[in-house]
Amino acid sequence: METNPDFNKYMDRYYTYSGQWDSPSKCGLKVINRKDGKTLAIATEIYRQNPGTPVTEWCAPLATQVMNDLHCTPEQFIFIEHTPDLNSKLAFYGETFDLVNFDLDENRLVNPKWLRLLPEQVDEMMEV
Amino acid sequence: MKFKLIYPRWEKLEGQTIFNLPPHGPVVMAAEIPQNIEIDFTDENVEELIIDESPDFVGISMMLTTQVKRGWEIADQYRKLGKKVIFGGISTMLHAEETMLHADSVFLGEVEGRLGEVFQDFHKNDLKKIYNFMSKPADMTLIGPAKRDILKKDLYYHKGFRMVDLFHASRGCIYDCYPCAVRYLGGRGFRPRPIDKVVEELSQMDNNRLFIVDNSLALDTQWEKDLFKAMIPLKKKWVSHTIEDKDEVLDLAAQAGAWYVYQAVFDTSDYIKNRIKQYHEYGIAVEGTVLLGLDNQTEDDIKRLVDFLLEIELDLAEFTVLAPFPHTKAYSDLLKQGRIFDTDWNHYNAGKVVYHPKHMSAERLAELYQYAWDTFYKDEPQTIKMFNLINKVVSREIVDGTYTPRRRDIADLSFGKKVPKVA
Repeated sequence: METNPDFNKYMDRYYTYSGQWDSPSKCGLKVINRKDGKTLAIATEIYRQNPGTPVTEWCAPLATQVMNDLHCTPEQFIFIEHTPDLNSKLAFYGETFDLVNFDLDENRLVNPKWLRLLPEQVDEMMEV
Repeated sequence: MKFKLIYPRWEKLEGQTIFNLPPHGPVVMAAEIPQNIEIDFTDENVEELIIDESPDFVGISMMLTTQVKRGWEIADQYRKLGKKVIFGGISTMLHAEETMLHADSVFLGEVEGRLGEVFQDFHKNDLKKIYNFMSKPADMTLIGPAKRDILKKDLYYHKGFRMVDLFHASRGCIYDCYPCAVRYLGGRGFRPRPIDKVVEELSQMDNNRLFIVDNSLALDTQWEKDLFKAMIPLKKKWVSHTIEDKDEVLDLAAQAGAWYVYQAVFDTSDYIKNRIKQYHEYGIAVEGTVLLGLDNQTEDDIKRLVDFLLEIELDLAEFTVLAPFPHTKAYSDLLKQGRIFDTDWNHYNAGKVVYHPKHMSAERLAELYQYAWDTFYKDEPQTIKMFNLINKVVSREIVDGTYTPRRRDIADLSFGKKVPKVA
């Protein structure tokens, strides 16, 4: 596992995936096995460190890949997208969290729908 | 073998001055087509496309999202005639899945060193559905001079004045700017061309006025300085996106022929004000590119921004509304928030509002967009401001001995069409 001083409470490893048009891609990842038996995965967009497809654009295939790697069922699996604060002068690069709900097509997660979360809500979900 | 290369037309913004510049993508692609292939190029923005059975193979090069629907329509017609059609270019990459529905083949990525394979496959009747080079940027040393002799040059004159020719000195960008897809298209690294290759191409260009289309020249100071130093003897005059605001860079840029630069103006800060002033101190004019409809802008902010532009004496301003092009952060954010209400790609021209702005209705943003154009150009119309800029460059060319007079033989034509006489 790669380590990095920038890892934080929402990201403790890098995760590689094959993005759109097979582009080698990378995001941050945090996995929490919750006491209620569900698995929470937080995928962090790492911008310049990601050479390929951004997390949002590849959300459903990425979530499917993570879910399969973790040997979860869709019912057990919770997926959150995280964009970190880039300390930019522009407001669009602030920190955001989105809970992503999917439809299921056979064993694939499809049709992502995003629901904005507050950091406190994410923290609560991590502690269940 | 005849290869028909087409650059589809798109609807220009209502009320704006129309300038048709010679396209860049097709001439870069043409440089990589094997020499034994006859290329017949049509830019539909300046001439009529006649669809017939004469070509053996058809290529459609698309830059803008507003070109894709027309590109697909052209492809459908050629395919009905039994012709194979391949798509390439920036907006093919942005809209690849949809484009594949209208294509025999799509080429994704950069062409250098790769088109020989495509034409061989065509000859073997074994064209692949996708040529995917998206994560394999071309070797920058392979980029030679673009093949500009496919262009019908007389069509890029307005009343005898020649338009700038497009040129590129680098690809890729290290930034993730909110409305921009260059990261997806050209990669996350800045990839400059070798200076000698740049000079070789510039030396061959018969047009003294250029638009350097690179996303930003301000990404590698040493390369930027070396580039400008090497350009000084060529005496070209050029327009570009951002240049670094270090004095030594601006001084070299001015000596190398910087005519005016596009500067994004996103707020009313002293930083922007000083930057414009600094460009002006070096004799470099500034066209502000002003994006309206961002989430941090209220109605009052937009009005204040327009007032600010007049205060800082921008030479020109170009207003656009945010268009959430696929593969941009703007698209991802607005998609996540369910705010995109119009997915007709013909409307993604940066003049129409296709999403719900945060602080106003879409209709109100459209009104403010018009207000911005009208207010900025109220006292001095765009044509006058442009004329002033042209005068500046002409004066410098006269001193340099590079001035080419207006062509009288086509002074009654604008982009190949007769200009109506004013009574």
